[in-house]
Amino acid sequence: MEILVLIKQVPDDSVDIKLDPATGAPKLDGVTPVTNAFDTYALEMAARYKEANGGTVTVATIGDDAAVSSIKECLAVGADKGFLIKDDSFADSDPTAKAYILSKAVAKLEEINGAKFDIVFCGREATDVANGAVAVKLAADLCVGVMTDVIAVDPADGGVDVQQQTDTGYNVIGLATPCVVAVQKPDYDPRYPTIKNKMKARKAQVPVITAADLGTEADKVGAAGSLTKVLGLHEPPKREAGIKIVPTKEEPIAAVVTRAVGMMAEAKVL
Amino acid sequence: MAKDILVVIEGADGAPAGVSLENINAAKTVADGAKVIAVSTCENCAKTAIEYGADCAYVIEGPQFETYNADVLADAVAQIAAEADPAAILTAATPKGKDLVPRLAAKLGAGSVNDATGLELDGDKIKFSVPVYGGGIISDVEIESPVQVASIRSGAFAKADPETGKAGEIVKKAITVADDAVKFQVKDAVNEITESVNLEEADVIVTGGRGMGSKENYMKLQELADLFGGVLGCSRPVYEEGWISRAHQVGQSGKIVAPNLYFAFGVSGAIQHIAGMVGSKYIVAVNKDEEAPIFDVADIGIVGNANEVLPLMIEEIKKFK
Ligand SMILES: Cc1cc2nc3c(=O)[nH]c(=O)nc-3n(C[C@H](O)[C@H](O)[C@H](O)COP(=O)(O)OP(=O)(O)OC[C@H]3O[C@@H](n4cnc5c(N)ncnc54)[C@H](O)[C@@H]3O)c2cc1C
Ligand SMILES: Nc1ncnc2c1ncn2[C@@H]1O[C@H](COP(=O)(O)O)[C@@H](O)[C@H]1O
Repeated sequence: MEILVLIKQVPDDSVDIKLDPATGAPKLDGVTPVTNAFDTYALEMAARYKEANGGTVTVATIGDDAAVSSIKECLAVGADKGFLIKDDSFADSDPTAKAYILSKAVAKLEEINGAKFDIVFCGREATDVANGAVAVKLAADLCVGVMTDVIAVDPADGGVDVQQQTDTGYNVIGLATPCVVAVQKPDYDPRYPTIKNKMKARKAQVPVITAADLGTEADKVGAAGSLTKVLGLHEPPKREAGIKIVPTKEEPIAAVVTRAVGMMAEAKVL
Repeated sequence: MAKDILVVIEGADGAPAGVSLENINAAKTVADGAKVIAVSTCENCAKTAIEYGADCAYVIEGPQFETYNADVLADAVAQIAAEADPAAILTAATPKGKDLVPRLAAKLGAGSVNDATGLELDGDKIKFSVPVYGGGIISDVEIESPVQVASIRSGAFAKADPETGKAGEIVKKAITVADDAVKFQVKDAVNEITESVNLEEADVIVTGGRGMGSKENYMKLQELADLFGGVLGCSRPVYEEGWISRAHQVGQSGKIVAPNLYFAFGVSGAIQHIAGMVGSKYIVAVNKDEEAPIFDVADIGIVGNANEVLPLMIEEIKKFK
């Protein structure tokens, strides 16, 4: 099985990111770039699939040079090769434009690998912009089937059976390969790299693929190829500051609770 | 908006999801005189949608719609859109709705957004408010294709007061979806969670986090929930520890909720949790760590041991019941 995992580098999702009033842009200085959490789940699922059924795992991302560090992280935890898809013309691509670029990249990587991909793994959504659209749009461009919220992938006759998480359990979905899956958090966590694999990944070469390599048309990428436009960013309405009560000798915890419940009654929420 | 708006109504057992009824109201805020048209595979849902403000409805009929298949529904809604020529198609930002949105958008050659929390008319377009970076920033997004496709988060809009028995045309559409438009097969639906948990529509949610310490302690929150007829919520680790089923998980990868009253016991307030509950009207948090970020969104924060505060709080609240 030839597997492609598409990843995105995003700002650390454990940091509460705010707007920088000076620039109107998100304040990202000092925030570590990480691999999108859902993509790490996708890679782990892909690596387990490979380990059980054989094959190779390729990772790729559309990003800038900084994204190479994410590719290398992936190389340390199960990916066999990684590619950076980079071009100035790709800036400001929305999911429609990204899907187009990625569909071209799939063809290019198949040419480089000398084999067709059977499964393309994506994350359920990117934790920064949370479009939840790239995987499905990519599948449409590739004219293949796609399932979202996937928590397991297993080989089946003519393709794969995947488990799609539902509110009450999961659906078993039969997909012919090639196909695209968008991964939700499964029951397990991604593995940590061994020191040895980390060292190896650090030294790995990450080839760069450009618009010229892909043959993308200028009006289908970047802002020109996008169907959504961000008009601006703003902060959500602030919640009115509440009160935080710390028990003291004079007001022990029981009295604190009595006061708090009194305030809840006053606010008419009881 | 000169053109109509289609609202895809999600329904279970003949009743529409609450968020789908909210979406009708959402559509009304930007319809600008045009019609709000419900689209459903269930006639009762369509009727209820009309009572909640839709002007008319399409009911999709055909043997292919007996079990849910997103490719089938996306194609059917696209067929209706080809005829109705809407300005926008809205769905609920449920897992189903968020999956349907890009499928529909791809079929219609449209742009889309998921999980919008606000809609505003901006000339002849809709300006969608979309939370990014876990909700710390709101992005104002416009969709430039002729059809705008979006899912809308539960709790972002209120439902209208229903007008029982309200008349509205219901057009039944027998639809066949071509085989090649359906690229997967639903082989089985496995129900692991048999309890019915309706977090989105709960008036009161009592959530416990890892700070409860054990399943036994966590389950004691049920008594507090019962005082309100409320529902238990949990953080992701609580579900992953197996203290309660995933159906109770609040947050980015769980349910987005906006009850009138939200209790958080022993919850740190990670971004992914806050993203799921910050829309609550009134938040009460108990955490032993004075610096816990949950206090930043709490109306009342109590710094203390959750297991000590819980029985005291139950006794105090009983006095008001
Ligand atoms: C992609 C992604 C998606 C995620 N989605 C979700 C989601 O949907 N929902 C979600 O909840 N999380 C989600 N998470 C996980 C999230 O980042 C946090 O790890 C999680 O919310 C922490 O849960 P917690 O607050 O229960 O546990 P902890 O972070 O361990 O916090 C426990 C808290 O309890 C307090 N405490 C301990 N003992 C006591 C005591 N006796 N009395 C009072 N307080 C006490 C501690 O001070 C601490 O603040 C997601 C993470 C990622 C990466
Ligand atoms: N820049 C990118 N490069 C490669 N894959 C991406 C990129 N952006 C998004 N994806 C993939 O699409 C998924 C969903 O992203 P989104 O639709 O933006 O929420 C991600 O989890 C990735 O698998």
